[in-house]
Amino acid sequence: MRRMILVRLALTLPILFGVSIAAFVLMRALPGDFAVAAAGTTSVSPEALAAIRANLGLDQPVWVQYLAWLQGAMTGDLGTSFVTKRPVVGEILPRLAVTAELTLIAATMALLMGAVTGLASARLRGSVDWVVRLYNGFVLAVPNFVVATLIVLLAGLYFPQIRLFNYVPFFTDPLENLTSLILPAFSLSLAVSVTISENTRAAVLEVAGQDYVMVARAKGLGPGKVLRSYLIRNALTPVITITGLQVATLLGGSILIETIFAIPGMGQYLYDSITSRDYPAIQAIVLVTAIIVILVNVAVDIAYARADARVEL
Amino acid sequence: MSEAGEGRVATVPAPSARRRKGLGPRQLLLAIGLAMVAVLGVVMIFGPQLAPYSPSATSLDALAPPSAQHWLGTDLIGRDVLSRLIVGGRTTLVITVAAVGLALAAGLVLGLWSGFVGGLTDQIVMRGLDIVFAFPVFLLAITVVAALGPTIPNLIMTIAIVYTPILARVVRGPVLSVKRWDHVEAARSVGVSEFWIMVRHVLPLVISPILVETSLTLANTIFTVTALSFLGLGPPPPDPNWGGMLAEARQFMELAPWTVIAPGAAIVFASLTFIMLANGLRDRLDVGGRQ
Repeated sequence: MRRMILVRLALTLPILFGVSIAAFVLMRALPGDFAVAAAGTTSVSPEALAAIRANLGLDQPVWVQYLAWLQGAMTGDLGTSFVTKRPVVGEILPRLAVTAELTLIAATMALLMGAVTGLASARLRGSVDWVVRLYNGFVLAVPNFVVATLIVLLAGLYFPQIRLFNYVPFFTDPLENLTSLILPAFSLSLAVSVTISENTRAAVLEVAGQDYVMVARAKGLGPGKVLRSYLIRNALTPVITITGLQVATLLGGSILIETIFAIPGMGQYLYDSITSRDYPAIQAIVLVTAIIVILVNVAVDIAYARADARVEL
Repeated sequence: MSEAGEGRVATVPAPSARRRKGLGPRQLLLAIGLAMVAVLGVVMIFGPQLAPYSPSATSLDALAPPSAQHWLGTDLIGRDVLSRLIVGGRTTLVITVAAVGLALAAGLVLGLWSGFVGGLTDQIVMRGLDIVFAFPVFLLAITVVAALGPTIPNLIMTIAIVYTPILARVVRGPVLSVKRWDHVEAARSVGVSEFWIMVRHVLPLVISPILVETSLTLANTIFTVTALSFLGLGPPPPDPNWGGMLAEARQFMELAPWTVIAPGAAIVFASLTFIMLANGLRDRLDVGGRQ
């Protein structure tokens, strides 16, 4: 097992390396002068620009710049923000915690909604199946920012007592913090819950057709016992993997949701950094997000292999 | 009595025959999907001619609710919401269709080539795509568009680049198995060139999953285009577009809910169209589920 995990981790190293190149090249290949953006204004004297270039190492060959950046990134230095002039790492970490919480709540909600509707759809069949699939088809077509906008509209029109845009930090008041994240997480989770629901449905239908389920029924186990001990257990293992794979969707969606609900997470930070052309921040966010996606995928693979002994990594 | 009974028995076809011939719910899905595509097509081609007013003509009748003159009401500066919806739909759809068209072309070339040639080429292309897949689609799109500047050609280019890997991977999968089939070997043995085998003997057999995936990509692209516009990275004003309309209307939406409901519904309609088309096609062309 340990060997398997090490091999799987070793295989991700080239991808991590490639991702770091991609994040670096993405920022350097873009038009517009890095130094002008760093100065924060276009009316800079050539001497001042040259000084900024030397200071940022922009007068060095590109590969030297990349290696310097990579070395920094590996030691936890992701550069200095053009806007705040403070280390980007210090700006990202607290926001990353907020986004992680939002994403985790959204993933939990999506898993609950998806597993329940998928299970109902597969077990009850008939009209329930029909309604769930129709609902899934429709919900999939509603983008998360439209859901969020409609929630804000409905709350404004009919529930003025709900305060929408007051994010409360976790350590100020944990309960208020959770309450303030429920609606944003819900908007983020809807589309993901459809993917989970459809996969749960397919997985339960497949497991229900297996011989061991028939044997369990034949020896007289009640439907509740079969459901708990055989169906849910066997069908949900792949479903949890699917939920893990949705982390990229959730992180992408958090850019919109955090901006709409004024949540100070990494998505909103990206939006702000893009607006203010804070290149080191953008570069760092892109890198950190990609690394999270890769690591979550690895974690999911390993968890799956632990849960199902037949799987080889 | 007995005649009627016999007649009834005779008209009931065997279950399998009924499933083949009848217009089952899934066939209906494809039909509705195609009808919705036709609606979007008309908006895309004839947009400006269909709009009852100029999309940028203002009037004193600001934030007016839906009425006989303004079917979907007016916005903050008295512009007709329906006209803006139709003209904005054209912009949104043109970007979507052009981007997916480009992504499909690039994905076909990459996927066919990589899958058909195989070996080291395939490995290099696929590992490159793995790296792109590590970035959430929307994160990549917003970063590139922001840096290039939000113009219509830049939006099309960016979205095409972002969706190319997804389509390339869909093309490559079936190519890997089809290229080992006997008819490919037969064609090769009679001296058909590799390029012609790829185009004439492999491509037609992998076209079904590509059609389904392209349709889903259209739905996803509607999301990406409108989401970018929603964040202010859409086509530049004053031309309307759905995402931009939704964002603009948010400030006063409690006074005039129709100004957000109209573009929101239009976005949902467009993505629903392509999702239904994809599901209908998947059933019609007998493509396995993709999850």
